[in-house]
Amino acid sequence: MAIKFPYLLLLFNFHLRLSVSGQLNSMESVPDLQKSMYKFIDGYPCVRLLNLSGVIGCSNPGREMVVAPIVRYKNTIALSQSSAVLVSSDELQSFLSRIWHDSSFAGNIAGVIVESENEFQNKSKGFSPAGKFPLAEFAPYQNTSYEWNPIGSGIMWNAYDFPVFLLSESSTLTLQEAANKNEKNKKAYIADVAEFNLVMQTTKAGTHDSETCLKEETCLPLGGYSVWSSLPPINVSSSDQSKPIILTMASMDSASFFRDKSLGADSPLSGLISLLAAIDALSHVDGLDDLTKQLVFIFFTGESWGYLGSRRFLYELDLQSDAVSGLNNSLIEMAIEIGSVGKGFNQGVKRFYTHTAEVSSATNETLKALKHAQDSMKSEHIIVSPANASNPGIPPSSLMAFLRKNSLSSGLVLEDFDSVFSNKFYHSHLDNISNINSSAIVAAASLVARTLYILASDNKNVSGSALTAISVNVSLVEELMGCLLDCDPGLSCELVKDYISPTSTCPSHYAGVILDEPSSTPYPGYVDDMSRFLWNFLADRTSIPSENGSSCSQGCHNKGAVCVREETDGKGVCVISTTRYVPAYSTRLKFESGTWTVLPPNSSDPMGILDPVWTESNWNAIGLRVYTVQDAAYDHIVLVAGISVTVLAYLAIVTTRAVLTKALKRD
Amino acid sequence: MTVAAGIGYALLALGPSLSLFVSVISKKPFLILTVLSSTLLWLTSLIVLSGVWRVFLPLKSTSWWPYGLLIFTSIAFQEGLRVLFWKVYKRLEDLLDNFADKVSKPRLFQTDKMQIALAGGLGHGVAHAVFFCLSLLTPAFGPATFFVDRCSQIPFFLVSAIIALAFVTIHTFSMVIAFNGYAEGNKVDQVFVPVVHLVAGMVTLVNFASGGCIIGIPLLYFIASLTLIHCGKMVWRRLTENRSRQGN
Repeated sequence: MAIKFPYLLLLFNFHLRLSVSGQLNSMESVPDLQKSMYKFIDGYPCVRLLNLSGVIGCSNPGREMVVAPIVRYKNTIALSQSSAVLVSSDELQSFLSRIWHDSSFAGNIAGVIVESENEFQNKSKGFSPAGKFPLAEFAPYQNTSYEWNPIGSGIMWNAYDFPVFLLSESSTLTLQEAANKNEKNKKAYIADVAEFNLVMQTTKAGTHDSETCLKEETCLPLGGYSVWSSLPPINVSSSDQSKPIILTMASMDSASFFRDKSLGADSPLSGLISLLAAIDALSHVDGLDDLTKQLVFIFFTGESWGYLGSRRFLYELDLQSDAVSGLNNSLIEMAIEIGSVGKGFNQGVKRFYTHTAEVSSATNETLKALKHAQDSMKSEHIIVSPANASNPGIPPSSLMAFLRKNSLSSGLVLEDFDSVFSNKFYHSHLDNISNINSSAIVAAASLVARTLYILASDNKNVSGSALTAISVNVSLVEELMGCLLDCDPGLSCELVKDYISPTSTCPSHYAGVILDEPSSTPYPGYVDDMSRFLWNFLADRTSIPSENGSSCSQGCHNKGAVCVREETDGKGVCVISTTRYVPAYSTRLKFESGTWTVLPPNSSDPMGILDPVWTESNWNAIGLRVYTVQDAAYDHIVLVAGISVTVLAYLAIVTTRAVLTKALKRD
Repeated sequence: MTVAAGIGYALLALGPSLSLFVSVISKKPFLILTVLSSTLLWLTSLIVLSGVWRVFLPLKSTSWWPYGLLIFTSIAFQEGLRVLFWKVYKRLEDLLDNFADKVSKPRLFQTDKMQIALAGGLGHGVAHAVFFCLSLLTPAFGPATFFVDRCSQIPFFLVSAIIALAFVTIHTFSMVIAFNGYAEGNKVDQVFVPVVHLVAGMVTLVNFASGGCIIGIPLLYFIASLTLIHCGKMVWRRLTENRSRQGN
């Protein structure tokens, strides 16, 4: 008995000397434990898209999750087992092309995880997953092998049977740690695995092209809502409806390998922002009603997927539908497109190029007006030059759809490049706000605003003072850039929240799918944030205030009045404005009785014959998780150990009982 | 891990208790009742303790002594409850003996009393294992495993199962020692049980140190085997002296 006490004291001493070191584990419950075990990674997926002849994009190969250990990609090392490969951003292109050519390598790829780009990475190389001549089939000229985008690799147009995710900055560190841990523990029985959930409904249902998947309702067509507005508002009831129309257009959608990271800062959002700033500048000018020509502005969506917006707009013009009431096709004198203008700034000089189709009197007038506008801003160092005559024609732009429809249309595209794209990140997730310059956008906006004023006044006695009065609000441009091209402040910025309640903070300009029946007065919940913002912004800027600025709680009864800011707390104001939504979707599709059907090719719609009819697969949930896994053998050892402990204990108890009983009976 | 590993961990912690239950306890209904009431008592003690300590939790401290204080007060309370448990049992024993006299059946034997104590201890042990190991085991049935930073060689669930097994052993056999100590008036046994419980509790603090579980777990098993051996010696002594008394 006496031996025991010193023993116990020794134990006490022993533990007193140990100190608690390191960070305390702050788990307080079993759900916390579960969360520490399974780490959800935020990332941007590449999804399955379908066309009439097949599929592109990425998907899980079946109905199950894909689980594989995380391995870092090294060009020289072959993969020994099915792995989730961690690739850095600049290796992605070479990695994916290696998969195409090396099938044994490809066989061991379970999934791909792309790190977010390092700030210090060499940005001069460029990265573009688009093709070398995007949408070449719609070109109004023969030379479709011309390379407008020489850096283009075309990797986004291939089909991949495995999931691909792009990581955010924070999750890149987590994955790198996991890959390093796996390398250190190569022989051990544990591994860090990635679990991909990118199960696409079209894969599950076995529908591998647009027509079947639309019939089975496992996919939805790409599209959205374009927005057009006129300055000043068109008086539909008045008899004088014969003012010639100058149509100025820009696009609001971009594309990239990763669905939710398509910012398209230079192509085409820089053009959109400069046009919005130009409209804002023009809206403050007096005497807009006295202009001889009508200014109409339109912002297309779906252009990256076969000029869906522009083609549908032209189709609706032919039909004279409600969406385009007030516009007469024959009155459109000139179509001016503002393409990518964000990179036109070089050493203090802002340089832009005009790409024109056939020479016509309207085009010449426009070029003269541009020169006049440029001259009125001598101090700004803006130079506008015609594009190289050896170009085969206009660059990929919405104007191509106009020219294909009517080859005699007068049109002009304003771009920041001459013979090849100056944007080295065309249609990639890296075409973000750091890729453009706000001075270039401001310069383009001033140029466009003054040119349009000159054109609309029919070049007659436009005084220098009138032109000088047209000034672009630089802070508006910077605010729009922050709202539409960055996550901070993103769509929660004041400018956007003044008009709509956005559904997300980080903007993304992927066209998305068109929900429910397309109409000119869609249910706002089915219209995406960008279109709703544009509609409200344009309606506000081009408006004439209605009587008393009444609230629209009971609707707007005046003719030509619409409700602006309906979603905000103030519940909206009635203004007089001509601002409408135009659905943007393929002219080969028709929505009837709740489903989409693909129409047969029609010779009256030559562009429809070329249209691939893009659709996007439906899915249940998309996600990426990382956790540690131990060998199956280890699990079985544990089970055997548990069973053997139980059995041994039973035997011991039975033996003890026998011994005790015998001892008691020994009388 | 998987279902196999999850079942393995559960069996590691509670397998011997299950064997004990099946071979000894399940034969006598009174023992089953004792196990259940003892489990309930132990869980109630935890509820009371958590109510008292709620104000101070979670303990966001990097030093060990707030945890030490927590363990000390909890063990002190539980040992106090053990005395209460003994007093209730004593009254019950007297009731049973009187009833046996009335119906001219034999009184409780020494082995019966020890079995009741064993059942009481088992109740405490099972409650501990369920509360501190089984309740955490749900994530173990999924595909992932988990390692704590400070014990990175052994999976967390394995550590908790092994520790639970040690405590089941300590609780089960401590009760036999304690009841015997109170019955005989044996001061050594009466002090032995709380001290062992306290030491075992404090030894788990060793796991706070980085890599501490490699030292902590063997220590804990040392204490458990100490308890087992002491209990065995005491039982043997009591039964042999009883027999010799009867033999006279």
